[in-house]
Amino acid sequence: MSEETETTVTLSDSPEPETNAALQKKIGWGFWLAISWVIFITLLAILAPYLHLKDPRGYFIDLDGNGRPPYGPSFEHWFGTDKDARDMFSRSLHGARISLIVGFSAISFGFLIGGTLGIIAGYFRGWLDKIISFTFIVLLSFPSLVLAIMLTALLNRSLFTISMILGILAIAPVGRLARASTLQFSDREFVLAARQIGASDSRIILRELLPNVVIPMSALALLGMAVAIVAEGGLAFLGLSVSQGITWGSLIQIGSDSATTLENAPWIAFFPILLLFLTVLSLNFAGDRLRSHLDVKESSL
Amino acid sequence: MKFWMQRVAMAILLLLSVSALTFGAMNVLGDPLFNILGPLAGDVNNPKSAALIEEVKAKYDLDKPLPVRYVKWLGDFATGDMGVQFSTDGQPPVSGLIKERIPRTITLLVMAQLLAVMISIPWAAITAARAGKRSDKISTMNSFFLLAMPNFALAILLKYIFSLKLGWFPLTYKAIDPYFERLRQVFLAAVTIALPAAAVYQRLLRTDLITTLQQDFILMARAKGLSRSRVIFRHAIRPSMFSFITVVGLNTGGLIGGAIVVETVFRIPGIGSSLVESVLREDFPVVLAIVMLIALAFVIINVLVDILYSIIDPRVRR
Amino acid sequence: MNDSEPRTTTPLLEVSDLKTYFRTERGTVKAVDGVSFSLQRGQSLGIVGESGSGKTVLSRSIMGLLGRTNLIREGSIKFNEKELMGLSVKEMRSIWGQEMSMIFQDPMTSLNPVMKIGRQIAEPLMLHLGMNKSEARLTAEKLLTDVRIPEPQRRLNQYPHELSGGMRQRVMIAIALACGPTLLFADEPTTALDVTVQAEILHLINEQRVDRNMSLILVTHNIGVVAGNTDVIAVMYGGKIVEKAPTKTLFSSYKMPYTEALMRSIPKLRQASHTRLATIPGRPPDMVNPPLGCNFAPRCAYARPKCLVEEPELTATENPEHVYACFYPVGSPEYHERKLELSQRVDSFSTGGQN
Repeated sequence: MSEETETTVTLSDSPEPETNAALQKKIGWGFWLAISWVIFITLLAILAPYLHLKDPRGYFIDLDGNGRPPYGPSFEHWFGTDKDARDMFSRSLHGARISLIVGFSAISFGFLIGGTLGIIAGYFRGWLDKIISFTFIVLLSFPSLVLAIMLTALLNRSLFTISMILGILAIAPVGRLARASTLQFSDREFVLAARQIGASDSRIILRELLPNVVIPMSALALLGMAVAIVAEGGLAFLGLSVSQGITWGSLIQIGSDSATTLENAPWIAFFPILLLFLTVLSLNFAGDRLRSHLDVKESSL
Repeated sequence: MKFWMQRVAMAILLLLSVSALTFGAMNVLGDPLFNILGPLAGDVNNPKSAALIEEVKAKYDLDKPLPVRYVKWLGDFATGDMGVQFSTDGQPPVSGLIKERIPRTITLLVMAQLLAVMISIPWAAITAARAGKRSDKISTMNSFFLLAMPNFALAILLKYIFSLKLGWFPLTYKAIDPYFERLRQVFLAAVTIALPAAAVYQRLLRTDLITTLQQDFILMARAKGLSRSRVIFRHAIRPSMFSFITVVGLNTGGLIGGAIVVETVFRIPGIGSSLVESVLREDFPVVLAIVMLIALAFVIINVLVDILYSIIDPRVRR
Repeated sequence: MNDSEPRTTTPLLEVSDLKTYFRTERGTVKAVDGVSFSLQRGQSLGIVGESGSGKTVLSRSIMGLLGRTNLIREGSIKFNEKELMGLSVKEMRSIWGQEMSMIFQDPMTSLNPVMKIGRQIAEPLMLHLGMNKSEARLTAEKLLTDVRIPEPQRRLNQYPHELSGGMRQRVMIAIALACGPTLLFADEPTTALDVTVQAEILHLINEQRVDRNMSLILVTHNIGVVAGNTDVIAVMYGGKIVEKAPTKTLFSSYKMPYTEALMRSIPKLRQASHTRLATIPGRPPDMVNPPLGCNFAPRCAYARPKCLVEEPELTATENPEHVYACFYPVGSPEYHERKLELSQRVDSFSTGGQN
C-alpha cells in the first residue's frame, strides 16, 4: 500500500476576506438625478432674465372678461397668476435667483471663514483652539433662526447682508467639522513627513491638510446649501429677507397670507413650495449620498 | 460635583457673552433714538424736538457709555425689569407683554414635544422590528421627504388640508375656554413642529433598537415565549433610550425656531410671533428681551441635559 | 436514518433528517445537514463539536428560534408526537418557555441588564401559567432556592450586574425551569464561567433534571463537560452527527478518528505540566461548499483516498445504540497500519534521521 498516502491533502482555504464589492459602493443614479435637478434649476434661475418670460412685476389683468384675478394655471400662465395678476411662472423662476444666490453665497462665506477658523484651530491647537472653539459654542447657543432674525433687524436687508447673515450661521458647524478633520489628519504620517522636511506651517496647511479636509466637507456643502435655502425661505416668509426682492419664501407668503387666497387659489403658494421642496430634497439627497459614499471609501483605507 | 460646577460656570460665561454681544449689536448697529422718535431724532434745531430728544436720552440713558448701559441693563433684566417697549402710545413694560404671551408658546412647545415623542416611539419600534424590509425602506423615504419640507411650507399645507378643506381646526386663535378648546387651536401648529422632530427621533431610536435587538437577552426573551411586541416594548426599548432622551432634550431648543414660524402662520400670539412683530417694528427692548429669554432657555436646557446624561449613563452606574 | 431505541415507550423528541441552511451572499451555508436522533423522557443527550460544527444551530433549529429570513429548514421534529416543523411562530410561542426552554452561554448578556431579576423570572410564570404578581413572586423565590441562591428575597430586587457570574447562570436556570418544561436545552452553559463554578452548575442542572424527570440536551465543545453528565453523547462535525453512543460506551470504545482527536485534546491531570496540548490541526470545513466525501477527511490523520470521494454513512456496531460514520474506524486494520506509519515517522524525526 505504498500509494501516495500523503495526508497533506489541501486543507480548506481560510475564509476569503470580505469582497470589495460592498466597499466600492457606487454613488448611484439617484445622486446624479438630484444633481441634475439642482443644475437645471440653477441654470433656469441664471437665465431667467433672458428667457422670454413675462415681466415678474407686471400685471396681466385679462380685460377680455375672463373674470378677475387670480387666474388658475393655463396655457397663457403656466403657473397661474396671483391676485394682482402677476405671472407666477416668471415670478417663481426669478424667485429662484435670490434663493439660490443667497444659498450659495451663504455657504461659500461660511465655508471660507468657518473652514479657515476650523483648520487653524485644529492645526495649531493650544489657546488659539480654545478661543475659536469657544466662539463656535457661543454661535451655537442660539437657535439659528433667532440669531438670523435678530441680525436682520439690525442690518440693512440687501442681498449681500442677508447672505452674510446666513453665512455666519454656517460658520460654527462647518468650523467644527473642519477642526475635527484637521485634528484627525494632523496625526497622519504624511503631515509628519512634511514637517520633517522642514515645510512651513502654511505650506503644510495648504498642500497637505486642505485637500484632505475638503473632501468630507464637500458633502456638508451640499447639505449646508439646503439649510441656507430653507433659512432664507423662512426669513423671506416672515418678511425679513432681501427687501423688495422676489424669493420663494416671499412668494409663498403672498400666496398664503389670507385664508381666502389660500383656499381659492392654492397654486399661488403651491408652485413655489414645490420648487423649494424639490431643490431642498435634491440637495439633501445628494449630500447624503455623497457622505455615505465618502465614508465607505474612508473606512477602506 | 466638580463636573456640575464646571458646567454651570460655563453656562454663565456663555450667557454673559451672548447677552453682551446681543446688547452691543442692538445698540451699535441700530439707532435707538431714531427708533423712538423717528425723523424727529435728527431735528436738533427745533427746540421742542430737542427737548424731546433730551427727555428720551435721559430716560433710556443713551448718553452713558456702552458698558455702563450694559451692566445696568443686565442688572435690570436679572430682577425682571426688561425695560419698556418703544412705542409712541404710552410705554408698556416689556415684561407685561412677555408674561401675557409666554404661556401660549410654552403650551405649544410642550404639546409639540409630547406629540413628537408619542409618534416616534411606536414608529421606531415598528421599523426596527421590520428593519430592511419594504415597509422600513418606505418609512425611511417618507422621513427623508418630510425633513426636506421647510416648516413654513408644511404649516401651510397642513393649514390648507385640515383647516380650510376639512375644517377640523380653527383658522385664527381665540383665547376661549374650555382649556381643551385652546389646545385645539394650537394643535395644528404643534403637529407642524412635531412631525419633523419625530422623524429625527425615530431615526435615532430605530438605530439603537436594532442594535439592542441583536443582543442575547432579546433571544432569551423570545425563548421564554414572549410575543414580539412584548419583547420590543418590555425588553428592547428601555436599554435603547439613552441617546433618545439626550436628543429629545437637546432638540427642545431647536423647537423654538420652529415655534417662531408656526406662530406666525397660525396667528398664535406667543413670543415667537412677538419676536417677528417687534423686529419689523424695530422695537429693540422687546427684541432684546425675547432673544435673551430664548438664549437663557437654550443654555439652561443644554446644561440640564448634560447633567441628566451623566447621571443615567450606564458607565456611571455602580 | 433512524436508530432504534431498545425501549418501547415513545420518545419525547424525535428528530429526523433535520436540515438547516442559511442563504448568504457567498452561497447557501449548510449548517445542519441531515441530523437524526431521538430522546426519551428524562434522558440527557450531549452534543459535542468544535465551533462551526453546527451544534448551536442545531439546538436553536430544533427549538425553532432561528429568524425566518434566508432560512431553509427541512426535516421532521416530533415533540410528544406533535410535529413542530412548519408550525408558525405564534404556535411555537406556547411551547417556548413552557414545554421547552433554553439556557444560553453568557448569562451577562442573556439577562436584561435594566430589568430586575425577580421580574425576569416572573415573566414566563405570568405569561404561561397565568399567575398574578404575588403568586409569581413567591414561585420565583422558591425557584431561586431550588437553584441554591442564598437570600432569594433580596436577590429578586437586584439587577444582573449585581450578581456574580455563577449566580447569574443559576438565575438563567431558574428562568428556564420556571414553568416546568419537559425538555431543556443547555447551550454551552459553563463556557463563560470560572472553572470552579462550572462543576457546580453542571451538577445543579443534572440534579434538577433528575428531580423533574426532564430531558436535557447539552451542547458544548468541551467533551469533558458531557463526560459525567449525560446518558448519550452525539459527536457533530460539519453539520452532521458522526458518532453517537451511550456515554460510557463512547469513552471506552469510540470509533471515529475525530472522536479520538477530541478525546486527546482534553488536558489530563496526570500529564506533566508542560505537556503540549494536542490540538486538531486545520479548520472546520466551509459549509457553503462542503468537501466531497467525508467532511473530516482533509484533517484526518487516517484518511485514505476513498474518504475524499465517498461519504460514509452512519452504521451501527454490535451495540445498536452505538453508531458511527467512517470507512476506517478506530480498531480497523487500516487504522492500525496508519498508526504504525505515523509512529515510525515520529521516531525517525526524534532520532535526527534524514529528511
